[in-house]
Amino acid sequence: MAVKDFNPFEMAQNQFDRVAELLNLDEGTSALLREPLREFQFLIPVKMDDGTTKIFKGFRVQHNDARGPHKGGIRFHPHETIDTVRALAMWMTWKCAVVDIPLGGGKGGVICDPHNLSLKEQEQIARGWVRQMAKNVGPLQDVPAPDVMTNAQHMLWMLDEFETIHGGKHPGFITGKPVGSGGSLGRTEATGYGVIYTLREALKAHNVDITKTTASVQGFGNVAQYSIRKYSELGGKVVACSSWDQEDQTSYTFKKESGVDADELMSVTDKFGGINKTKAKELGYEVLPGGDWIKQNVDILIPAALENQVNADTIKFIGDKVKFVVEGANGPTTPDADKLFMEKGIFVIPDFLANAGGVTCSYFEQVQGNMNFFWTKEDVLTKLDEKMTSAFYAVLELSRKKKLYMRDAAYVIAISRVVQASKERGWV
Amino acid sequence: MSSEQFSHISHEERELNCIFTIEEILKDNSKTIDERYQLIIEAIPSSMNFPENADGQIIVSDKIFKTHNFKYTPWVFTRSFFVQNEEIGSITIAYHKLENNQDFEPFLQGEKNLILNIASRLENFILYQELQNIFSDLDAAATMHKPNGKEYWETILETIRRTDPPLFMSFLRKILHILSAREIEQAKSLLDQSIISSFEEEAFDENTPTKKKKINTYDDYIKEILQLARENIEPNYLRNRLDEWLLFNKSIPLIKTLESDSTSLTEISLAIRKYFHLAPEKIKLTEGLLKGLRVALIRRFFTDNLQFISSAKEYVKLNDFYNLITKMIYMPTSHGKLGGKSSGLFVANTILRKKALENPLLQQIKTPKTWYIASDSVLAFMHYNELEELQDYKYKDLNEIKMEHFHVIQMFKNASFPPELEVGLSSALDDLGDVPLIVRSSSLLEDQVGSSFSGKYKSLFLPNQGTKTEKLNALKDAIAEVFSSTFGPDPIEYRSERSLLDFHEEMAVMIQEVVGNRIGKYYLPSFAGVAFSNNEFRWSQRIRREDGLVRIVPGLGTRAVDRVGDDYPILVSPGQPNLRVNVSIEETIRYSPKFVDVINLETHKFDTISFDKLISEFGDEYPALEKIVSIYKDNMLREPIGINTDYSQETCVVTFDGIFKNQKFLQKIDAVITNLQSAFNSPVDIEFAHDGTDLYLLQCRPQNFKKDNSSIALPEITNQVNVLFETNKFVSNGFLSGINYVVYVDPILYSETENKDILIKIGEAISRLNKVLPRREFILIGPGRWGSRGDIKLGVRVTYSDINNTAMLIEVAKKKGSYTPDLSFGTHFFQDLVEASISYLPLYPDETTSYLNEEFLLSAHNSLMEIAPEYESLSNYIHVVKLPYDNFKSLEIFMNADESKAIALFQTSANQFDSDEEKEKLLLGHKLAKYLKSHFHSIDNLYLNLKNTANLDLYFLISDSEQLIQIKMWLSGFAVGNNLKYELNFNFYYVDENPNQTTIFDNLNFIQLF
Repeated sequence: MAVKDFNPFEMAQNQFDRVAELLNLDEGTSALLREPLREFQFLIPVKMDDGTTKIFKGFRVQHNDARGPHKGGIRFHPHETIDTVRALAMWMTWKCAVVDIPLGGGKGGVICDPHNLSLKEQEQIARGWVRQMAKNVGPLQDVPAPDVMTNAQHMLWMLDEFETIHGGKHPGFITGKPVGSGGSLGRTEATGYGVIYTLREALKAHNVDITKTTASVQGFGNVAQYSIRKYSELGGKVVACSSWDQEDQTSYTFKKESGVDADELMSVTDKFGGINKTKAKELGYEVLPGGDWIKQNVDILIPAALENQVNADTIKFIGDKVKFVVEGANGPTTPDADKLFMEKGIFVIPDFLANAGGVTCSYFEQVQGNMNFFWTKEDVLTKLDEKMTSAFYAVLELSRKKKLYMRDAAYVIAISRVVQASKERGWV
Repeated sequence: MSSEQFSHISHEERELNCIFTIEEILKDNSKTIDERYQLIIEAIPSSMNFPENADGQIIVSDKIFKTHNFKYTPWVFTRSFFVQNEEIGSITIAYHKLENNQDFEPFLQGEKNLILNIASRLENFILYQELQNIFSDLDAAATMHKPNGKEYWETILETIRRTDPPLFMSFLRKILHILSAREIEQAKSLLDQSIISSFEEEAFDENTPTKKKKINTYDDYIKEILQLARENIEPNYLRNRLDEWLLFNKSIPLIKTLESDSTSLTEISLAIRKYFHLAPEKIKLTEGLLKGLRVALIRRFFTDNLQFISSAKEYVKLNDFYNLITKMIYMPTSHGKLGGKSSGLFVANTILRKKALENPLLQQIKTPKTWYIASDSVLAFMHYNELEELQDYKYKDLNEIKMEHFHVIQMFKNASFPPELEVGLSSALDDLGDVPLIVRSSSLLEDQVGSSFSGKYKSLFLPNQGTKTEKLNALKDAIAEVFSSTFGPDPIEYRSERSLLDFHEEMAVMIQEVVGNRIGKYYLPSFAGVAFSNNEFRWSQRIRREDGLVRIVPGLGTRAVDRVGDDYPILVSPGQPNLRVNVSIEETIRYSPKFVDVINLETHKFDTISFDKLISEFGDEYPALEKIVSIYKDNMLREPIGINTDYSQETCVVTFDGIFKNQKFLQKIDAVITNLQSAFNSPVDIEFAHDGTDLYLLQCRPQNFKKDNSSIALPEITNQVNVLFETNKFVSNGFLSGINYVVYVDPILYSETENKDILIKIGEAISRLNKVLPRREFILIGPGRWGSRGDIKLGVRVTYSDINNTAMLIEVAKKKGSYTPDLSFGTHFFQDLVEASISYLPLYPDETTSYLNEEFLLSAHNSLMEIAPEYESLSNYIHVVKLPYDNFKSLEIFMNADESKAIALFQTSANQFDSDEEKEKLLLGHKLAKYLKSHFHSIDNLYLNLKNTANLDLYFLISDSEQLIQIKMWLSGFAVGNNLKYELNFNFYYVDENPNQTTIFDNLNFIQLF
């Protein structure tokens, strides 16, 4: 029942402290970075549909903006706490830094349960949040985005309120908008393609010919689909991918030795990523238990579905051939798996580098908004490739030079970039 | 079928036509009276069986009206007409030649009846004309001159006295009542005397002491009254009343017909038709008499249920019955009714029409065209096919019934229909046309207050395509199947549970057109669903029960009514339309309907098809589609904008956002359910469908409900060890005690099992436990959705009859990765639970606010082996913990909806009973109380006197006597049905008799049961 209260902010601080020690940071710098720069807590009064007034509590935590305006989502959650928001804001700082985009970290939220709110009331909360924060957010200060239980609609309400207050059009104030209302093309592809851009470079760096590699993917959602597409396009062969079956309430692995064709599978997939078993069989796919994706005798594993999938229980199934793991999902591997990877010399591209395509594209959306000039999809994806590639090499280089595990290297490079910017500004 | 049957029916139609024509002619004031007689006589022959051979003549006073070729032949039928017992004319129909197949007596009974009807219609017309003449004379004379020095009313009364003495006496008494109401002392004394007198021969009782003026002869008596009337009542007033009485007198045949239980539907139907045809001048019946007539008709056509009648009589008009009988199919000797479903819809419709006068929202609500088969037709059908052996079938062992049911269905389907019914069905098909049909059961028990058989009897869809013979055969097949469902295991079990097995069940049937449009090769409504005036499934604490609940789907409403397992209807609460169940876009998409039920007009089958596929092919033909779906793009759901939407390209998600945004729809539904609820004085549920233009009401019935237990205080948890579970989602009010068994199906093991046979066997084991464990003393805890009809992995496969003895059903949602499986949403099954007072609770043990002591359930001794040894092999999957166990005596479950919290707590304290007998009595008392509370709203409190050893002494505090008889009957039934070893003693006290009543129960021996 009552699990021992765990504090996400403390966890994030511990993680930072570990790297700070590696970097041998001075006390002042550590003190600056282990806490948010600014925190806002405020009340949002809302006239409810039934005429009563309800007061909601809002947050915005701006962790560090040495490298650029804060960037981070806004969450509507009944169990929101300031410590969760702090931790997430800090992670955003590192995530932006690792791909070297000129943004800092931030996060916000409102304690509320949208299940108990009408859309009208939610709109009032969204607009109320902006009214409270109007002076401290904006394209040049802090750029919000959708997060848990908020979506494009909330972003548009917020943008509208922001523009009403400030007069003028500021599409760069917020990201996650639909195309046509200031959104960016290429967003759908960004994360999946980004995963493969880093993988492509990793293979190059290890002198492996991508056209001679095989991979197995967990998941068939947005990230997995575009990963498979890009990887196949580059000549690799995906042998298997898994997918959740809503009807059977279990997942299955779909295997085709001659290569999984994303478009072919998409033709028998519903809009929720569920693959039709019967039709897949007709297309020549073998339907195996859901966990079998990890047992495949391939060079590359791409967990792109859920967290904690590669864990103490499942690592024993990993084949000897596997040399690369690319984390498309957030936190798909546990520390147990990390240990095994280190022992076996499996090369890991950590999640916050591999799946940073998403945040990079948000950055592009913001840039396009600020210029009020919108790029073609090709432009977006080319620029994404450049960003991801150079980010990957920076981490790789550090990892080789300092003999660091890739995950650690990514943290070190992210944090040292923020440290550097803070120092250059003379803050510490 | 015989040609005679055909001619019988067709004659009825011709008769109606003819009467309508005559009505038109008589009302046509642009013609002279003579012209009208001529037109009438020319109209009549065409309604005879051989119109070309028939001629006619009408004689009125000294005038003759006839058809061109009229002459007297050996084959004539004449009827004279009389006004005030004086022959004033006649009507004659003659055949001038006979066809080969005509008997020497060429007039069929139907033809004769028609002529008789026309004759009495003409009598009426002539009388009316005469009265009109007198009225107009009198109007002129009233103020100046009185003919013979007498008032008009006196003249009339004198005529009546001569012609109809009993009627005269009855009018006289009425006059006397008017007089005494005006406080005329003399009249009052006359009234006393008149009680014993009606005819002049009768003598007065000499011994009656009276100080008042004594009247010795009957003539004196009459004179006295008339004199008083002359002196005290205004002539105009009396004249008007006399008119009313005279007209009122004409409706008496109808009342008499209705009052007798032995009259058949045919006779009633004839009486109603006559009533309307013979009295088209709109008889001004008194409100009281009208109500009496309505009640009599409601009783004969619908139900004896007093609560229903008392609601219905305020709304149903005589006219409505007139329209109803033209759409009824019945045996000539039928005494049947129309059943619950038909009654509910019929009365709901009349209620809405009346309420629509004040509420414009209700004005456009329609009901589909419907035909009705009387309930005893099933008996005629069985009799005709010699299937009567099945009458006692319901008393068979349930297992036997289950096994034989398929066989029974086949027997019914292979049987043939009595010709009378077949003819009726044929007319119905002609009337309904080529629109697909639904054949709905409407049994007498079904949908009555207190026992809803939702989904237990069948409803079948028919495409109704092809030749007339094909359509008729399909219709008969469907009706036979609906008939056979009376003998299905589920309804029989349901009845036996409620002691309704002895109730004489008959099955009426509704044949209703399916609301909808042709879309591509399919036929379906744009959307349809069900609405409940009480929301028993609230997803937010801001939604109140009375905010109602709507379950809505695209296509046929079957997917909203039935639980389908692999799909979801959209839920919305009309009182809180903006609070949606699903908030995030992912949830909205996941829980949107993916399939749609349709009638396939090509394959002639009821079909379930993918909604996506339907709209990508035929989206442009789908009425109101832009209001049903939202377009998903860029992480946003947007309303389609008019015709600028290519449904074959876009990702469409059913959200009904357009419908809900146009608040009119939900306001309408809200208006419908709240108005019906207030009219029926009970929560209702309705089925509706929408064809893109209009909203149709398809069904209405009382929503069965537990009287809202005021929320009970949650216990203080002193020791976490005693807690079996805690949860804070979807909790309704309630309290369960005396739970002695916990049955637990391990969700983890269940979900990991790939072997389907094991999963099926688990369902069988649960069914077995349900039979052997003591009723309402066990709870079932299991994974996912109990009773899922879709994938077995969603939950244990059981039907309602496999779990009906449990006290509570708990669904456990164990997280799988970051995904929590969805639990069952409200469905038929859910309503079953509500009705049977089986509590329902979802548990999310992985959430921090929920808790389930899985460890205890898995580690405690598993009694499965002792209770159901044949299922020993499943002991890893099914754990039965028998209480008392260890330190735990029994289990109590506290549920508080206001705090949205439920706690299951093991009781550890020792019981404080003096004897086992007392404990047994208390348990029995609680058992009784549970039933009584949910079935009889008028019981406020119930006490049990524990110390009277021989009897079970119950003390009821009731708020009104309305249900008294029902309560007593139920109690007697309970005592017999349960073989009680105690004698039941029941004592009733009215709450308002003495406000301090409860104090007498403060005695320690009295235990308050509720």
